[in-house]
Amino acid sequence: MAVREATSIEPEVAPDVRGPTAPLPATILALGVASLVVIALGVVVSQVNYALSDRVLTQNCLNEQISPEDNGAIGVCNIVEALADPLTTGSLYLGIGLGAVALVLGASTYRRMDNKRRRDQAITGAVLGTQAVLLALAILWFRSATPGLFSKHFLNFADLQGYGGAFVRGARNTLILAFAGEMGGIVIGLVLGILTLSQRRAVRAPARGYINFFRGTPLIWQLVTGYFLLLFGFGIRLSAFVVAIIVFALNTGAYAAEVFRAGIQSIERGQMEAARSLGMSYTQAMRYAIVPQAVRRVIPPLMNEFVILIKDTALVVVLGLTANEYDIFTLAREGQSATFNATFFTVAAIAYLIVTLPLIRLVNAAEKRLRSGLVGIAGAGG
Amino acid sequence: MSEPAGSVRAQGVREPLVRLEGVHKWFGNLHVLKGVDLTMQQRDVVVVIGPSGGGKSTLLRCVSLLEVPTTGQVWFDNQDITDIRADLNEVRTHIGIVFQAYNLFPHMTALRNVTLALEKVLALSNDEAHDRAMDQLARVGMGHKANAYPGQLSGGQQQRVAIARALAMEPKVMLFDEVTSALDPELVGEVLEVMIRLAGDGMTMMVVTHEMGFAREVGTRMLFLDEGRVAEEGEPREMFYHPQSDRLRQFLAKVL
Repeated sequence: MAVREATSIEPEVAPDVRGPTAPLPATILALGVASLVVIALGVVVSQVNYALSDRVLTQNCLNEQISPEDNGAIGVCNIVEALADPLTTGSLYLGIGLGAVALVLGASTYRRMDNKRRRDQAITGAVLGTQAVLLALAILWFRSATPGLFSKHFLNFADLQGYGGAFVRGARNTLILAFAGEMGGIVIGLVLGILTLSQRRAVRAPARGYINFFRGTPLIWQLVTGYFLLLFGFGIRLSAFVVAIIVFALNTGAYAAEVFRAGIQSIERGQMEAARSLGMSYTQAMRYAIVPQAVRRVIPPLMNEFVILIKDTALVVVLGLTANEYDIFTLAREGQSATFNATFFTVAAIAYLIVTLPLIRLVNAAEKRLRSGLVGIAGAGG
Repeated sequence: MSEPAGSVRAQGVREPLVRLEGVHKWFGNLHVLKGVDLTMQQRDVVVVIGPSGGGKSTLLRCVSLLEVPTTGQVWFDNQDITDIRADLNEVRTHIGIVFQAYNLFPHMTALRNVTLALEKVLALSNDEAHDRAMDQLARVGMGHKANAYPGQLSGGQQQRVAIARALAMEPKVMLFDEVTSALDPELVGEVLEVMIRLAGDGMTMMVVTHEMGFAREVGTRMLFLDEGRVAEEGEPREMFYHPQSDRLRQFLAKVL
């Protein structure tokens, strides 16, 4: 009895049928990994080494127009010197060598590997080796031009001291602009999207015209023209911040309309027919049967639009915002013009990424959820 | 419902519930229905058979104006519903349709599928709608799954909920559009059983089907629709055992 029970226990995970590895593919994989690690370690270690040491401006740096008067000149010089350090150089060439060997070995042998694991290791090793070679070449190229000049302008963080709070406020303002614009855009887009689905050309035409206009002209033009149209055309004096939200909403509305139209069209025709056959009006069928289903399907693309809008809010830089209205990009531009240090833009990019990366992950998760039908819209046949 | 002026209702002669006169339907340049006439009396179970592409589903959909006939009239309960002034939303509350693909609302429970139109179209109170829906779900043997979502139900169960949804409106006629064609074979029986009981209760029905056994046993009248025309019409058994036209003979030879 006990034996029987024991044999009836199903394994909890699927068996691994990829097979054992062998020395050659394992070596190729190791070479590929090592090539990347060597490059990364060499570059990072020498950068840290220089950054932590007390150094003076070298002749090399002076030649690259880094002058002792520059705020943060030593830090910039350290970056340049670390790049030229033999440790960096050695690791780059070693990485290229290891990567090239991994690429050649992997590419020439992967077809002959006799099980899945061995083939995977050979291919992965070759791919990683290729990446290492390309990365090292890019660093060598960068180093051979004027890295000092670039670092002085984009990697000199000395001027940014005391700007932390301003960047947090900038991020908040960017999110307010994007969120308010997106919300307005969703409302406009839903209405326009339904209008474009009308049987009647007279109803469709103006909606299509609106969508084509806002999709077909640059957002930056819409911002500037919108501002002056309100001011001179209609005599409405609104703050640039509010005008920006309005224009973002109008613009996003055009894109959201297409998203809603596609979402509604993706609902099976039978849903509308079923609703109408129960005596519902077109409006009732839309409201109770179609739109609730469409909304779930359009959440990922609308979130995607939101991410795009977050980045597009940078265009408010062309409008005159007041200091406490600054978004991330305007703040960076102001900081840059006050200090002639473009490192503000480097930090701005990081700030945008901090906001957008979690959202991008969220969009991907939502799309995956939708694809797997977990939202309960898989429909008939489940 | 007021009678048209001058109509005389002779004793024993029932007014037809549904009447189609010279119905043509074109889809672009495709002539799908080529002049169909049809009358359905109350308690009729009209079965429509025929080769695919013959216009069966289009004919059924013309009865509730889901497809608008290109020319010809459809009369329902003495009202010309092809008249552009007809209130189709009101008319459709009296015509229940069950579709091949069930077309349940996937974002609602079985119960909500049934109560939605009761509340929004017939303006019943929540309690009335709930009670009526539960009665109809029980009638099709789906009372125990009232709170399940369509995605959690088998095809046969979904189709029975769809029937309950249509029945809850208390329609005067039920249209069935190949309702078992999408089902796995072992699920066909439970749906047919519900339809047989419905016919037994005296429901007026129009059934487009490939289930020849059902057509023969349950149908009170049968239409053989071929290339957009009613090629043969009559009592089902008579048509099965003594087909008059070559086309019907060929068709029956293929499907039986």
